[in-house]
Amino acid sequence: MGFDMEQTDQLILDTAHRLFTDQCGADVVNGAERGEAPERLRQAILDAGLTLAWVPEAAGGVGGSLALGLNLIRQAAGFALPVPLADALVANLLLAESGLAVTERWAALAFDGDELPVLLQGEVNGVVAAAAGAPEAAVLVVPVTEKGVVKIATFAPSTIEMEHQESLAGEARTRVILKSAIPGQLSGPVDGMTADGLKQFCALVRACQIAGALEKIGELTVGYVKERQQFGRPLGKFQAVQHKVADIAGESALAGAAVEQAVRRVSAHPEPFSGDSDIFLPLATAKVVASEAAGKVTRDAHQAHGAMGFSFEYPLQQYSRRVWSWREEFGSEFYWSERLGMAVAAEISALGAGEVAGCAWDAVSR
Amino acid sequence: MESVRFNFPAPEIDQSVDELRKEVRAFLDEERRSGGFVPVTDCWCAGVDPAFSRKLGRQGWIGVTWPRQYGGRELSALHRYVITEELLVAGAPVHAHWIADRQSGPLILATGTEDMKRNILPRIAAGECFVALGLSEPESGSDLASVRTRAHRVEGGWEITGTKLWSSGAQHCQYMTVLARTGERDPNRRHEGLTQFLVPLDSPGVTVRGIRDMSGVEHFNESHFEKVFVPDDAVLGQVGEGWKQITSELALERSGPERFLSTFVALERALQQGAAAMTGHQAAVVGSIIARIRALRAMSLGVAALLGQGHSPEVEAALVKDLGTRLEQDIIERLREFWPVRMKQGYGDELQYLLSDSLLRQPSFTLRGGTNEVLKGIIARGMGLR
Ligand SMILES: Cc1cc2nc3c(=O)[nH]c(=O)nc-3n(C[C@H](O)[C@H](O)[C@H](O)COP(=O)(O)OP(=O)(O)OC[C@H]3O[C@@H](n4cnc5c(N)ncnc54)[C@H](O)[C@@H]3O)c2cc1C
Repeated sequence: MGFDMEQTDQLILDTAHRLFTDQCGADVVNGAERGEAPERLRQAILDAGLTLAWVPEAAGGVGGSLALGLNLIRQAAGFALPVPLADALVANLLLAESGLAVTERWAALAFDGDELPVLLQGEVNGVVAAAAGAPEAAVLVVPVTEKGVVKIATFAPSTIEMEHQESLAGEARTRVILKSAIPGQLSGPVDGMTADGLKQFCALVRACQIAGALEKIGELTVGYVKERQQFGRPLGKFQAVQHKVADIAGESALAGAAVEQAVRRVSAHPEPFSGDSDIFLPLATAKVVASEAAGKVTRDAHQAHGAMGFSFEYPLQQYSRRVWSWREEFGSEFYWSERLGMAVAAEISALGAGEVAGCAWDAVSR
Repeated sequence: MESVRFNFPAPEIDQSVDELRKEVRAFLDEERRSGGFVPVTDCWCAGVDPAFSRKLGRQGWIGVTWPRQYGGRELSALHRYVITEELLVAGAPVHAHWIADRQSGPLILATGTEDMKRNILPRIAAGECFVALGLSEPESGSDLASVRTRAHRVEGGWEITGTKLWSSGAQHCQYMTVLARTGERDPNRRHEGLTQFLVPLDSPGVTVRGIRDMSGVEHFNESHFEKVFVPDDAVLGQVGEGWKQITSELALERSGPERFLSTFVALERALQQGAAAMTGHQAAVVGSIIARIRALRAMSLGVAALLGQGHSPEVEAALVKDLGTRLEQDIIERLREFWPVRMKQGYGDELQYLLSDSLLRQPSFTLRGGTNEVLKGIIARGMGLR
């Protein structure tokens, strides 16, 4: 797999952008929550091969870089895609990385960052509290642990006990209960993959989604305050409103910069799912900054929109509800901040007195 | 729909940049250990030590991007970035030469006469010549175009009369760049008729008086110009074009590391004290600060890369300064939870001293170089709202 963003990647992103523009209008997004399944969109995404972006060409995929997939995920979030593309991408990536057969239909990711189900003597036991994409999936992809080693197992959804729930944004989050379950496919140990490394990577996936949605929220807000008139002027002419928009731009830009840096670092790393300290810093940063921005941006955007933004019909709420659920998943800003702070403290404590000058700076500048 | 999508490209960090960073770090470690300087917070505004500036000049770390013939080393903007951020986080006393290195030097390079370049730039690069900024006045702050300082044409040059206020470090400077009105005020064309001059501060008619600030030091000044004569070639650039120069100058000075690292030295010291017994809550506070600084640095480096590619990322630079200066303040407010700030001098406790001095200086962070309200206006204009 190539990990750098290449020229062909841009072509794929452009194709996806056209597809989302044509097939994922606000009506489709709202419709999906009213019970109108977005079948046409789902099929178009499969037909375009987007769920296989991270699968090598030899295995029937696109062979795209990590940067391509993460940018695709960010872009899709800017359309509030009511389809679990991001999670299917990760699920297929795990299949490909572990040498298992990849499905051309939907693969669900039964991993939420908590303890992995345990593999013992060929049977898997454990609970994944919030798997993504399970209702439409042809296969459940489950990272499992065997004596601390990560392997990938697959299951036919019909054979597994599941309780379907929805996130704040109506995205399927399913409780998957594995009781002495026998995998359909089971990989060997996956080189360079740890449960924590996988969690870090998935946290970056959510951070990319937040960054994409925040950009869209910014665009909606700028568009709205230019359009809406009160006191004989567009709202955007009032300085109080302008300053809110500037704050939205700032938080959104900060999240974008953090995510882009993390994408570059993870792309350049030989073992992107290892949780290595070189990628921990940028990945934790991305999730902290994006999750913090999610709260600030949505508050300002809703205030600037007035009651319109509170209505189901107007698209803003689809993005705010999404970022509110994504900011909690795979670790909130509080979780990753604490880990970041502890990691720096541990480095300082490990050094003797006199050598400690510059430790925090080292954690910022490397 | 206006775009609110920004692009912060990765800087091209090659080996020479890393090596330079190591060199600067080693030098600063050694200087600190041998008592060459005592770390101060907000060091680029509060740490004045002309002898230390000369040492940096001897190291070749001032004016590094300028042409060799004018005392520079023709290094990249990224090299300069690395030098400045290492100086900032070390709390080194760099105020004396900071403005000349960042702003006045490049201004002279872009608009000065050949004589100025040959005579002044090498002295700046040597850490021997310092320049103050004469923009604000008693009646002109955010509304800078309203300056009242006047320059009248006289035989062979100009005569300048007026008062400049708040000019940082002017008492240590040999020159001031003075923004003055050279054309009549026209309410419809407020930005025309302004010109920048490079004025030697030892000229007859100049008086510079220090103003004590709330942190207790005489950092900024009131400078009065009474019929001060300067020759024709003291004009920077074109007569009447001063406004355009100022705005591009300000864009440059808004996105550097001094816009988010002013209080970093206090954070670093706090971590050294707190690391061994760090609680989860403390770690979460510190971790969120570190994450935010990392993200701001990625933005700031992105702006530097954009500048290097020949773009003029005015909105992006304003974003860095608005977010960064507020973060500098937040750092101290959040550390207070664990290290209450009560005493002015700290009485031998270095961390207390850095925290209290940061607190006493922090109101200035969101004012100097254009207030955050002004910055937000620039951002809003970029979004198409003004
Ligand atoms: C430590 C320090 C160093 C400085 N160094 C220099 C220097 O070297 N050279 C120099 O020339 N100047 C210097 N300054 C001055 C600085 O540039 C000014 O303080 C700044 O431009 C603001 O001007 P003002 O203080 O007159 O505030 P004002 O312009 O009077 O503003 C007061 C408040 O009103 C707000 N405000 C003003 N206009 C508007 C508006 N249209 N909309 C909304 N809000 C508005 C401002 O944002 C601010 O919050 C320095 C200042 C400080 C604190």
